[in-house]
Amino acid sequence: MALRKHIKSFSLFSLPILLILVLWELLSRLRILNPTLFSSPSQILSTLFELTLATGKTFTSHSLLIDIGVSLYRLSFSFLIALLIGLPLAILMGRSSLIYNLVDPIITLLVPIPGIAWAPIFIIWLGFGDPTIITVGAFASFFPIVQNVTMGIRSIDKRYLWCAEIMGARKRDFWLKILIPWSFPFLLTGVKLAIARGWRTIIAVEMIAASLSGLGFLIFDARDYLQPSVIYGGIIVLSFVYIALESLIRLVEKRTIEKWGIVLKGGL
Amino acid sequence: MFRIPRRVKYSLFSIFLLAVLWEGAVDFSLLDPNLCPSPSMIVQNMFRLLVYNSLLLKIIVSSLYRLFLGYLLSVAFGVSLGILISVNQYFRTMVSPILSFFISVPTLAWVPLFLIAIGPSEETVVVTIFVASFFPIVYSTINGIRNLDKKYIWLAKIMGADKQDIYLKVLLPGALAAIIPGLRLAIGYAWRALVGAEMLTTGISLGIGSMIYASRAFNDVTTMFTGLVLISLIGLFMDSILMGELEKRTVRLWGMVK
Repeated sequence: MALRKHIKSFSLFSLPILLILVLWELLSRLRILNPTLFSSPSQILSTLFELTLATGKTFTSHSLLIDIGVSLYRLSFSFLIALLIGLPLAILMGRSSLIYNLVDPIITLLVPIPGIAWAPIFIIWLGFGDPTIITVGAFASFFPIVQNVTMGIRSIDKRYLWCAEIMGARKRDFWLKILIPWSFPFLLTGVKLAIARGWRTIIAVEMIAASLSGLGFLIFDARDYLQPSVIYGGIIVLSFVYIALESLIRLVEKRTIEKWGIVLKGGL
Repeated sequence: MFRIPRRVKYSLFSIFLLAVLWEGAVDFSLLDPNLCPSPSMIVQNMFRLLVYNSLLLKIIVSSLYRLFLGYLLSVAFGVSLGILISVNQYFRTMVSPILSFFISVPTLAWVPLFLIAIGPSEETVVVTIFVASFFPIVYSTINGIRNLDKKYIWLAKIMGADKQDIYLKVLLPGALAAIIPGLRLAIGYAWRALVGAEMLTTGISLGIGSMIYASRAFNDVTTMFTGLVLISLIGLFMDSILMGELEKRTVRLWGMVK
């Protein structure tokens, strides 16, 4: 019974996708869809396959694995920078009202600006390529971390603090037993948003900061050569990489805050 | 007597402090004004662009026009698709896997495709804005209807409501508690996408994103900063004042959210 249910839900899930793919393939084979705009699924697959095998040694030819690796490397580098700067700032803002009041308005002003809008300025400051891409990515991931952790620390229930004080807690106990466990779920939310923001920003900045590699550059470069199959393939890869990143964070959540019982299983 | 709230005082003070420090750093040549212009230069530049044929106004208006065109399309299609997905189970199983694929794609990754398919024109920007704001609207509509108390629907049915009444008088108003915060989220997404799409679409002459991108050719950092200031202020205005007020006047007033 259970197996049949699984098969049913799986086929219900994959049937529409399959249907669209078949229809798409048919329409492009019959030349009803313009082939310069809509490459057929089989064409996209073979392009992806070719790109995976390519070495990417020559100037304009890409290698999918290298592009994925470069984009992920930029993402992790910029995320680390954002965490290293954002976390101390957030702790300062959470613990001191003065710093919070001074810094929060500036963060509020900076948040509505998308990362890519900073790119031309950073290109002038830092030049093309990795320095600009990583800095702008770090800039974009910085705000979710700061905002969430600050909110977490500021939202600590005063009664816990009083209790701890009455029971003679030391400074170390306050940090280890109240502040960190309380603000950890907020940090994870911030990390999740930071990775999502950082990923989107890095892909976008790769398009204009002339980086010669990376998934964003791969699809933007394909536009110049009118290769829609590369764009479609790139979009599919982008989606899968993001889904993989998301499930990685989900795994961390399961192993930490859900296991420790800080939040309810499966979210609130 | 009108009193300025404490928060606003703090904000003004902190921004003033930043501006003074920044201005001082440029004046004492700690920062190169060609690379990092002072706030007074940015304000001056803004004024210059405003006075010159009211160019700045034209730029802002044409960006906002694209934004609202894409956004309105998105609201119309997004809310309808959200309702369709919620009420029809077959439709849901058909569409939701496709949606969850599309939502994981960065919006700006579509731009190269639109550039080929539509061309480097205004339509590309509008379609990108549409895509950016579509998903928060669809998902908030679905959530709104899912969290709606089923008893309302039963009650309406018992009292003899026909299908049209259930859609227009139960489902849609009931889901507004979730849709309106979704609209607020969506306009933020749309605003970010607008700037990115304008930068990547080279064929348009007026637009905040185009202004920033075009100044790259002249190494004109002052105009780039002018663009950033505009993006920040207009984005804040739309989020806090426009959408915040909408939330206050609707879902908060009706007591649907705390």
